[in-house]
Amino acid sequence: MTIFELTWRWMSDPEQWQGPDGIPARLIEHLWYSALALAIAAAIALPLGLFIGHTRRAAFLAVNSANAARALPTLGLLMLVVLAAGVGLLPVLVALIALAIPPILVNTYAGIRAVDADVVDASKGVGMTGMQVLTKVEMPLAVPLILLGLRTAAIQIVSTATIAAYVSLGGLGRFIVDGLARRDYELVAGGAVLVALLAVVTQAAFVLLQRTTSAKVRGT
Amino acid sequence: MSDWLDWDWLASHGELFAALTGDHLYLSILPVIGGLLISLPLGLACVRWPRIYPPVLGTTSVLYALPSLALFVLLIDFTGFEPLTVMIPLTIYTLSVLVPNVVDGLRSVPDPVRQAATAMGFAGIRRLLQVELPIAVPVIMAGLRVATVANISLVSVGAIIGIGGLGQLFTEGFQRGFPTEIAAGVALIVALAVAADALLVIVQRVLTPWSRA
Amino acid sequence: MITFENVTKRFPDGTVAVDDLSLQMPDGRITVLVGPSGCGKTTSLRMINRMVEPTGGAVLLDGVDVRTVDPPALRRGIGYVIQHAGLLPHRTIVDNIATVPYLLGWDKRRARDRAMELLELLGLPATVARRYPYQLSGGQQQRVGVARALAADPPVILMDEPFSAVDPIVRKSLQDELLRLQGGLGKTIVFVTHDIDEAIKLGDQIAILRQGGKLAQFDRPEQLLATPHDAFVESFIGVDRGIRRLSFFPAEELELRDDTVVPAAATVDAARQAARAAGESWLLVVDGERRPLGWLLADALPAAGHVGELDLAPYGHPFQAHSDSLRAALDSAVLSPAGRAVGVDQDGGVVGTVSQAEIGEVARGRAGAQAERSEADA
Repeated sequence: MTIFELTWRWMSDPEQWQGPDGIPARLIEHLWYSALALAIAAAIALPLGLFIGHTRRAAFLAVNSANAARALPTLGLLMLVVLAAGVGLLPVLVALIALAIPPILVNTYAGIRAVDADVVDASKGVGMTGMQVLTKVEMPLAVPLILLGLRTAAIQIVSTATIAAYVSLGGLGRFIVDGLARRDYELVAGGAVLVALLAVVTQAAFVLLQRTTSAKVRGT
Repeated sequence: MSDWLDWDWLASHGELFAALTGDHLYLSILPVIGGLLISLPLGLACVRWPRIYPPVLGTTSVLYALPSLALFVLLIDFTGFEPLTVMIPLTIYTLSVLVPNVVDGLRSVPDPVRQAATAMGFAGIRRLLQVELPIAVPVIMAGLRVATVANISLVSVGAIIGIGGLGQLFTEGFQRGFPTEIAAGVALIVALAVAADALLVIVQRVLTPWSRA
Repeated sequence: MITFENVTKRFPDGTVAVDDLSLQMPDGRITVLVGPSGCGKTTSLRMINRMVEPTGGAVLLDGVDVRTVDPPALRRGIGYVIQHAGLLPHRTIVDNIATVPYLLGWDKRRARDRAMELLELLGLPATVARRYPYQLSGGQQQRVGVARALAADPPVILMDEPFSAVDPIVRKSLQDELLRLQGGLGKTIVFVTHDIDEAIKLGDQIAILRQGGKLAQFDRPEQLLATPHDAFVESFIGVDRGIRRLSFFPAEELELRDDTVVPAAATVDAARQAARAAGESWLLVVDGERRPLGWLLADALPAAGHVGELDLAPYGHPFQAHSDSLRAALDSAVLSPAGRAVGVDQDGGVVGTVSQAEIGEVARGRAGAQAERSEADA
């Protein structure tokens, strides 16, 4: 109960809602960095995953990237990037994107691969070109797994962005890191709760998206 | 790149690495074992009473989405700045990964096998322990590998609250602006993860000489 | 003896899988349940070992209602063979076969010895014992499945389309194997298939079920082929039931002539004389061991020489004069350029020949006699 009391007290303090250190500012920062990283990671990994899934080339890349990424410690990676390229948005963003690519890649690849081989065969037999098979058959059927990949990446990014506060990135993680430094546990708890809520909302949003699109796919 | 790395420093800190590796293993392996011990009966229950599976899955799914740092700091109030604070969230993450694997593994038993086993007189617990669980091992192992590697990596985040095993090399290195130390931490953690994964693969080969993969 | 007394199975959604089925399956015989999909044959089979429970009526095993016996105990006394074998993938072949003995608490060594015995009985090499199921072919896996069913020596074996998932050549050898085993073991076997030919080949008694789970006819195979009860049974049996029926008539009744048989060493003149004496235009040439070499047309004989030097027409394939059926004899006759079937003995030596027409006459006589007999029975 203490956490929630602390958090409530902290959030009901009107000062927390103002200024560059205020809740709205940090929230927007976090959302902005996360959305940007997700968009860029998707822009890279989606076409790559579609390509690898459709042509079956370089499959090892897709499969092993996820395993490799899982073993890499995010905190260490972020620190190395910052020490090498200095404190700033770009280096951290690059790290966020790099870590988000594997889940999108793996799931997109798996989604395409999961399409029934007979369906693909029949489509080719009917006279569809490779591109048509990809866009009209494989992609629509792969949507559930692709969305799962995006969801996994989104959660990953929210989490990593939180940790990145330690290397001076903004966002909700700052509350936790600054709070720990100043031994202000109200701040720490508040930040943790906010971040947790953001993660849950992100998850829910994607689940909703998955439900609505799968209903459509089933309907076709 | 080699100008970046202070090889002398690396060579002279073997003891530190060993000690931190020990801590790190302790912090990452215990949650895996704990997670396995909880997920086995939980997964079994979900197979036996399928209606509880969706809510269980939903709950573990939400818990898995919560950022590790947030969970660590939220627990400080209850368990202080102690290893348990890191190990409890990691156990929860392990659970989230393993329960679906346990369920899928049990459900992966081919129907003819289940039918034949029942028809031969295998009933209830006996069938579970002697037929279904052994066949589920490969799928469960796959989840175990994922959870173990993820845990080894995640433990390092705990360094932010002072309990991070090899992650300590990160926070120290960063404070001193000393990339060598950080790189050492990264390398050791990755090496640990790769070794653990390889070990599990060997264990699986030993446990299941009968599976093709 | 397995008895079905007015057994009905109605599922919760209303479908009637088995409708008032009453049958007696005799001990030591193979009873086949056959029919189109949806006829309830598998459901009926599975009511014997309580994998499915009837909603009406009762299934009796030696007079005892199977519902009074605890299911696992019941099942350990009944062998069960299914389409994809269902071998335990995580156990070696020998441990798979020994599964029920282990469950019954047999001594491990005794169980393993028994398993090795059965491997041999089923014609599998001993090297297979330590392997895992995934290393065996489909046909081998099915054999292991049968061995497993026999391991604890149960009096009853249930077989649910056990040979449907393998290719025709393997299927034929498995069927022959089963008949051979049954000859030695005399188990009470209930066999389910959708293939009427398999049913006719294997069954001592055949129950044809129609969709909706009703019994259409229950008879011995020869009876079924001779007198199908209605249009459904007739169409299920298929078009050439007349010819298939011939496989139940022994060829031994045929009178074979050897006056048209001529050794290869004979001269052309001798051959010409033999043909004239027999009143036939075709002669069968045989070698020193009386094995057939081919047919010779008497009119096309040259002026001189020995018979063995000439070009001979192929003789198709012979039939076993003492053990084959009229159907095999007819087949041989149809394949022969002379229109005569070649009957041989166990060593392959020619016994004699017989014309297609004579085979037809004997068949007609047989069929007639059987029809009279069944009328008398009825």
